Amino acid sequence: MPFSAQPPASGEPYVLTASLDNARHLSSILRAVHFQDHATCFATANGLRVTVEDAKCIQANAFIQAEIFQEYAVQEESVTFRINLSVLLDCLTIFGTSSLPGTSTALRMCYRGYGYPLMLFLEEGGVVTVCKINTQEPDQLLDFDFCSTKVVNKIILQSEGLREAFAELDMTSEVLQITMSPDKPYFRLSTFGNAGSAHLDYPRDSDLMETFHCNQTQTNRYKISLLKPSTKALALSCKVSIRTDAQGFLSLQYMIRNEDGQICFVEYYCCPDEDITEAEM
Amino acid sequence: SRVAMKCVIGGAHLRVFGRAIHAIARISDEFWFDPIEKGLALRSVNSSRSAYAYVFFSSMFFQHYCWTAVSQPRQKEKQLSLPCKLIIKSVLPVFRCVNVLERNVEKCSIYTNINDHHITFKLFCKHGVIKTYNLMFQECDPLQAVFAKHMCPNILKVHSRLLADTMIHFPTSQEEVTLSVSPMKVCFKSYTEDNTDFSRTMLTEIQLSPDEFDYFQVGVDSEVTFCLKELRVKPIAFSMEDRVLEASFILATLCEVGEETAALRPAWRQTFHSFFFGAVSCKERDAVSHTFHSLATASDTEEDFVSCCRNTR
Repeated sequence: MPFSAQPPASGEPYVLTASLDNARHLSSILRAVHFQDHATCFATANGLRVTVEDAKCIQANAFIQAEIFQEYAVQEESVTFRINLSVLLDCLTIFGTSSLPGTSTALRMCYRGYGYPLMLFLEEGGVVTVCKINTQEPDQLLDFDFCSTKVVNKIILQSEGLREAFAELDMTSEVLQITMSPDKPYFRLSTFGNAGSAHLDYPRDSDLMETFHCNQTQTNRYKISLLKPSTKALALSCKVSIRTDAQGFLSLQYMIRNEDGQICFVEYYCCPDEDITEAEM
Repeated sequence: SRVAMKCVIGGAHLRVFGRAIHAIARISDEFWFDPIEKGLALRSVNSSRSAYAYVFFSSMFFQHYCWTAVSQPRQKEKQLSLPCKLIIKSVLPVFRCVNVLERNVEKCSIYTNINDHHITFKLFCKHGVIKTYNLMFQECDPLQAVFAKHMCPNILKVHSRLLADTMIHFPTSQEEVTLSVSPMKVCFKSYTEDNTDFSRTMLTEIQLSPDEFDYFQVGVDSEVTFCLKELRVKPIAFSMEDRVLEASFILATLCEVGEETAALRPAWRQTFHSFFFGAVSCKERDAVSHTFHSLATASDTEEDFVSCCRNTR
């Protein structure tokens, strides 16, 4: 990877440098995981991963591969820091969030390592802004230990089929119940709210269903307040894969195409909710 | 009475049904769901009992309509006792985005669930997706509006478009509108009181000539004032009817001292708007009040009338 950072002013070299011609390639993906103020950034030679967690039950990861950046260099095996994601997003969108055709904010990100702030150089139309965002000790992150060999049920759906459903989820329900089965109803999303229950059924032969690999009937419930933020990722994505393992842990993977047609991924992991007893149908 | 009902709404009628729900939602947060043998009636009344809505879908409106009275005595598992009250907020999501309903939904089936207090709405959408809503309801006494349909010396029938075009001229802050009819003209105007300061108020007045109406009959010069917000004495009703659907929206009106407002008789024809006057009471509540005079409750059938309009004081 080329290393072409500016000579550091204070002597310490940058351990991470990354440049983008269009900062939206980063900001729009980060918005899809922005449900908490703080995030952990993890940079390796492969790219950048930004992780957000909540309640020790849910974890969202945004992956931006090295190839997305016009320039990308990591000097150590990995670089990790915790940062205020709300502030980072505010800085990335400092020139405004509307995307006029032909205009974009250019970004250069530099980080000197442990204890140093993250530097952002943003330019649009000749105007340059420099931001210094303090970094913190990285958090211990959850490990869902979710790998493809442990997957019991998996489906891949076109996002357009789910977007409306997620946007309209009955938030008076404490849980979102997900049923996946080789038999009817195949794939069902259920809520149990104040007015009653609602079910959304997708048949295995629907033209929205790209892949349907369900071996076992599973019904799991997840706290709806934890899953609702994934609606942002769903809105950006063209496809979503939904997988569960034997313990009922849920993995949602969203394939997102940016403005230049490049692919990025966002994933959400969620623990099943054990507090709720058998809900009425 | 215990009944079981199942019906299917298809195609373009879905939009009509959704619109009816949205229209009723403007009156109140809840409505009465009342399937009868001939069709499905929806009714609602606002909290101040000054506005009432009624929409009736005859069985022909549906692709399929099935209604049965359950004659067995009430068993352990609760049987549906109708009419029942549904909360509008829980039904509106089913018929969200009324305009695109036809594009996305092939048909909707509604059926009563004998085992629980549920009414199920099932939408069969494109891509094979099925949305099921099991909505809870509460049993309640029937809601009935009382109005004397046959004692109407004044009958006006006008296309709903004309009425909408007329009302649009009134500022949204205008709470009361006075309708005055005489054999020569019909006038809608801003309601004014004796102490209205004319130099500071904008008044709107729209006159329509009899030939703008599809049917015009004025036997008694009358003037009524109506509004949606406040509690008034004598109601004004707007109704429309189609071959398969009939709707009435009854609004309480301001009582003019010394005036006897006679009821209008609607004649049922193709889609139109007509006005008639009657009174509203709800069986649930004490029907005698200062502003609403008690009337024996009546059903919507022609037989059960009471000459309410004559005793409004």
